[in-house]
This record gives sequence, C-alpha cells and structure tokens, in this order.
Amino acid sequence: MSTSSAPTSLPLPVIGSFDFDSASTAASHDEKLKRTLNTAVLRQDGGRKIRLAELPNSDALRTLAGQIKQHTLDNLDYYLDKLVANVEKKGGHVYFASDAAHARQIILDIASQTRVSRVIKSKSMVSEEINLAHALELAGMDVVETDLGEFIVQISHDRPSHIVGPIVHLNKAQVAKIFSDYFGTPINDDPKALTMQARDYLRDKFRKADFGMTGGNFLVAEAGVVASVENEGNQRQSVTTPRVLVSLVGIEKLIPRMADLAVMIKLLSRSATGQPITIYNNIYGGPRSPGETDGPEEFHLVLIDNGRTEILQSEEYRETLRCIRCGACLNACPIYRKIGGHAYGSVYSGPIGALITPLFQGLANYKDLPQASSLCGACYEACPVKINIPKHLVNLRRDIVNTHLNGVFERMIYRLWAWSMTSPMMYAIVVRMQKMELRRRAMYTGWVRKLPFFGSGWTQVRDMPAPARRTFHQQWRGKK
Amino acid sequence: MAQDTTHVMDKVRRSLKRDQPLAAAPVPPVIDEHIARLVSSDIGLPELFARQAAHLKMQVEMIRIDDLADGLATYLKGVGSKRVMLTDLPLIRSLSLTDHLTSQGFDAKYASQIKLDEAYDFDAGVTEVDYAVAESGTLVIRHRPEHNRAISLVPFVHVAILQPKNFLPDLIDLMDRLTKEGTGSGVTLISGPSKTADIELNVVTGVHGPNIVKAFILS
Repeated sequence: MSTSSAPTSLPLPVIGSFDFDSASTAASHDEKLKRTLNTAVLRQDGGRKIRLAELPNSDALRTLAGQIKQHTLDNLDYYLDKLVANVEKKGGHVYFASDAAHARQIILDIASQTRVSRVIKSKSMVSEEINLAHALELAGMDVVETDLGEFIVQISHDRPSHIVGPIVHLNKAQVAKIFSDYFGTPINDDPKALTMQARDYLRDKFRKADFGMTGGNFLVAEAGVVASVENEGNQRQSVTTPRVLVSLVGIEKLIPRMADLAVMIKLLSRSATGQPITIYNNIYGGPRSPGETDGPEEFHLVLIDNGRTEILQSEEYRETLRCIRCGACLNACPIYRKIGGHAYGSVYSGPIGALITPLFQGLANYKDLPQASSLCGACYEACPVKINIPKHLVNLRRDIVNTHLNGVFERMIYRLWAWSMTSPMMYAIVVRMQKMELRRRAMYTGWVRKLPFFGSGWTQVRDMPAPARRTFHQQWRGKK
Repeated sequence: MAQDTTHVMDKVRRSLKRDQPLAAAPVPPVIDEHIARLVSSDIGLPELFARQAAHLKMQVEMIRIDDLADGLATYLKGVGSKRVMLTDLPLIRSLSLTDHLTSQGFDAKYASQIKLDEAYDFDAGVTEVDYAVAESGTLVIRHRPEHNRAISLVPFVHVAILQPKNFLPDLIDLMDRLTKEGTGSGVTLISGPSKTADIELNVVTGVHGPNIVKAFILS
C-alpha cells in the first residue's frame, strides 16, 4: 500500500502550541459552562465511587489492572507479534501506522480499494487524535458519527470536551438549538425527543452503510480480537451491516488474555460511567464466517504509534500508556470541573490530557498543561490502572526547568532567589525589604489589596494580611 | 506495507531496549479471584441474574417450557410486535415457535431466511443465548450462521430465551469459556436495552439498539 502524502489542508484540532492561559481564563468566567459541567461530572464521579465500593477490594483490583497493563507494555513487542498472528489467522488484515498522516492514508487506501463510500463511524478517541472523519469527508465519502454525543459534535462543528461524554459542555437547550438548525424542525429540548430524532435519522444511514469504522478499548493478544464497550448500539451497527470494517487502535491497548478482559471490563465501566457493565461489550476480530448473513466481509485492523513509542522508551513515563480512557480523572479533577475540556486545547483533556498531550505532541508546545493541576491527587485516587498522574506532572515541570522551557525571566527570578539564600545576611536583607514594602501597601487597612506585576493575579481574588512588624528571626532572637 | 510493520515493531523493540524477540513467553500477573470475582457460588444463579437484569431495565420472567409458546405470543402482542424474526436454533426449532407464532397471526420467520436489509422492517427478534452471566445480568451471544448479529440489534424488541445450562456466575467464568471455546467471528455481551445519557445525563433508552429486552428464563 502506498504511503503518498495525506490531504494537506487538514485543519487539525491542534496545531503547534496553544494558549492555555487565555483559554482557561475565558472558560472559568463562563458561568453557564461551569454550571452544566460541574453538575454532570460530579454526578459521574459519585457514581464511580458507589460502583467501585461493590467490588470486594477495589484498591487491590486497581493495582492488579495496573500490573496487567504494565506487564503488557513491558513486553509489548511480544504481545503485538502474537496479536498480529492471531488476527491474521482469523482472516483479518493488520497494518501498522507510524503517525497520523500515515494512518489516514492507510484507511483511505482501504476505502478506495474496496470501493466503499458510506461510512458509519463510532466514537473513538484515537480517530479524534488523527482527525479521521474530516480526512474521509475530504476524500468525498459520506461520513456520519453515530454516537449521539459525537453526532451532535459533528453537526454543530464543535469539538468533544470529555473522553467519555463528548458534549458534557452543552445543556439541553443548546442541543435543541443545534437540532433545530440542522434539521429545520421546531425547537424541542426534551432529551427523549431529541434522541429519537437522531435515531430515526441515523437508522437509514446504518441500513445503507458499506464502511464501518470503529476504535477499540482493548486488543486481546491471545484471542486476536478487539474488545470495545458502548451503551447505544451504534458500534454494534458498525460491526453488523457494513461490508468493510476498519478498526483503528493505539498500540498500547493490548492485554494478554481473555481473562484480563474480565478485570478490565469490571473496572472500566464502573470508573467511566458508574455502571457495573456497559450495555454492550463487542468482541470481534475477523470477517464473517462462511454461511453468516451479516458482519463484515473484510476486517482491517490499523495499529497506530503516533508518539506512543516515544513514551514507551522512557521507563519513567511508560506507565502513562496504561491509560484505558475511562475519564474518571477528568470527573475527579477540581480544575477540569471549572474549565472543561476545550480549555486544554487538545483531544485529551483533564489530568491525563495535561500529562499525555505534552508527551505525545512535545513539551515545548504544551508547557502550560503540566501546570494545570493543583496536584491534589484526586486523579491518582480515581485512576483504575493507578497511573501516578500528580507525580508525572511534577516530573514534567522538572523537565521544563531542565530544558530551559520556562523562559529567561522566570529563570532570572529563581537565580536571584537562590543567590539571596546563600548567606544569612543576604536573606535578612531581602526579607526586610519585602516586609517593608508589604507593610507600606497595607498601611491603612492591615491588608495588602494589590500587588504589582506577576503578583497582581494573586491579589485579584483575595487580600493578603500584612506581615508582622518583626520577622520570625527577630522575634526568636528576642526570646533568648 | 511490510516496511511499515517492521518500522513500528523495530521502534517498539528499541524502546524496550531489546535487539531481538523474547526467547520465552513472558508470564502475565496472576489474577487473584479473591479480589476479581464478585460471584463464586453456582446456587441461585437464575434468581441473581433476574435481580441484576431488572436493575438494568431488562424485563425478566420465569416460565415453564410448556408455557413458553403461549407466553411468548401473549408478550409480543402486548408490546405491539407484528413481524417477528427468530434464531435458527435447536430449542426454538423443537418447540416450533415460528409455526406457533404464525398460527397466532404473526408474520414470523427464521432469521436465516431474511436478508440483512429486510431485518430493519422487523419489530421483534427472538433468540436463544449462549451464556447468561448472573454477576452483571448479561446475555452473551456468539455469532454464527444460525445466530446472526442483526436479530438482537435491529428490531425494537429483543426477546431472549434462557435455559438453566446457560447460566454462569461471574464474568471471569465467561472469559474462561471464551478462552477454551474461542471467540469465533464475534461475541456480543448485552446488559439491558440500548441507552444514552449524552444530553445532560438524562437516560434515554432505545437509541440505536432495542428499546425493550425481555428475558424468558426456563424453569
């Protein structure tokens, strides 16, 4: 298959660096967004905790799930070989793509060779990562996102803001407006009516589709299958009706055995949506067998690297590839709940997005994201595979300093600070100057109301009490 | 294509600091059933299944095998189904359910007689299952010529007939069976009617799959 260049005019969701500062500030002032978002994700977070408590020992199960994923990553070459052999044994085709452009090209080539044009696509984060739907549309295909949330994102030219709930940033009035604009029907904000309207529209698409496009939550090496969870049934349609089925999955999604799938399903659905199990779990991995009346005639599995091997290389960051994309860390994060997914400027948002986006796309392009955390640890506690997200965010901050990405000014300040700490006398002088200036500013009320320069952000939302007249050191000496 | 396979595989191997494939198969972590298993007893599985399935908004009814044909007809009339497709499996055949439904005025056909496109015009699909997992109230169907994918997906109503031999305690037991028996051309796990909560977390059922899932448990 050729690897000629992909369409060049792709408006990728992420281009180079992104101004997190202004995006997050704007989002945090959007009261409507905050209200919609906070209610929804807090409920999901509560549901997760209730469901995890049903397990005999959820903490130990999370440890086990983390060990299973880590073991697979540590032996990824072995398990990839095994997976490929087993998928091919079933009559499926396997491709490796090194990056986004390459993956798009492979899928476009499959589509043109099999002469398909009506695509039903189910929700998949990795397809967002490579902006696949757009590439297929540019190639002249009729592409429809079939997950309800993704469908709404598609018809309103929006972007998903949550790994699991793509439109968690929209309220029902906004969805009603989007439907009314798209279908030319009167506004109706009843979720049931909106859902049925989408069902009726998409049913015809399912019936006529010839190309099914899915992602995958897990790849089981010993069985040569993709395992995927969903609630709506749209993914089942993708693996039932179309003549050609393509699954695009990241190489880190492997697990060794079917037995591991039981552990993962128990944790994934509980962590993601607070369900003991999702409505559908689809296990597939080859063309239909002789005599079957439905299912794909051809099955193609595209395994994508796109930066994953860079992370695999680092023994320190390798564990971040354990992520099973449940979104629990987003729901648990006090920062995500205030700014939403779009502010991260990346397909992956929340704590895990702040961590893997700089690792995938370069720290220099996303050096603000590791700061988008109060390091409270809620994400680590929520993670079903125990990725130590706060630790890695601190490590990324360390990398920023070590590679001088933090800017001349910040480095100068810290150098000055370090120098002032080198002798007791220097320290005393600096502290005294600071104290005098702060006391001057708090002269009338006893409170510092306004700080200059980079301190101004701090006093924008709070006052600071004036420091004591005598410093701690002075008082200590006085006691003796 | 071969070049790209080698390229990515080489990168994976280099990342793991290996210059050749592993000599021996690595040993994955042992799954400790004390922490992973939710149901260990074989006793009372149909009852446990019924409780779990009810939580998932499945409709469950225990029925004697002699009453099944009439019970099924009554139920399908109640939900307003007229066109019914059935799986081509031994139990359904031996009870002549298709003939019985036809005599009751239904347009009943074996799924194997229907083209995929026509399935979209049917109101109900009646199936057997390969397994029923009590832990999670899950129906398990292995796809094969006698049991296609569309029958439990496309019609608005899915009726599943469960036999005592179908029940398994835990998802761990299911995966054990699938390991031994293989996954064939695909396996579907169904745990309730199709649903979404995408719009402000409002739960709406019957999105792209059946809106009603009914389980008749044979006693």
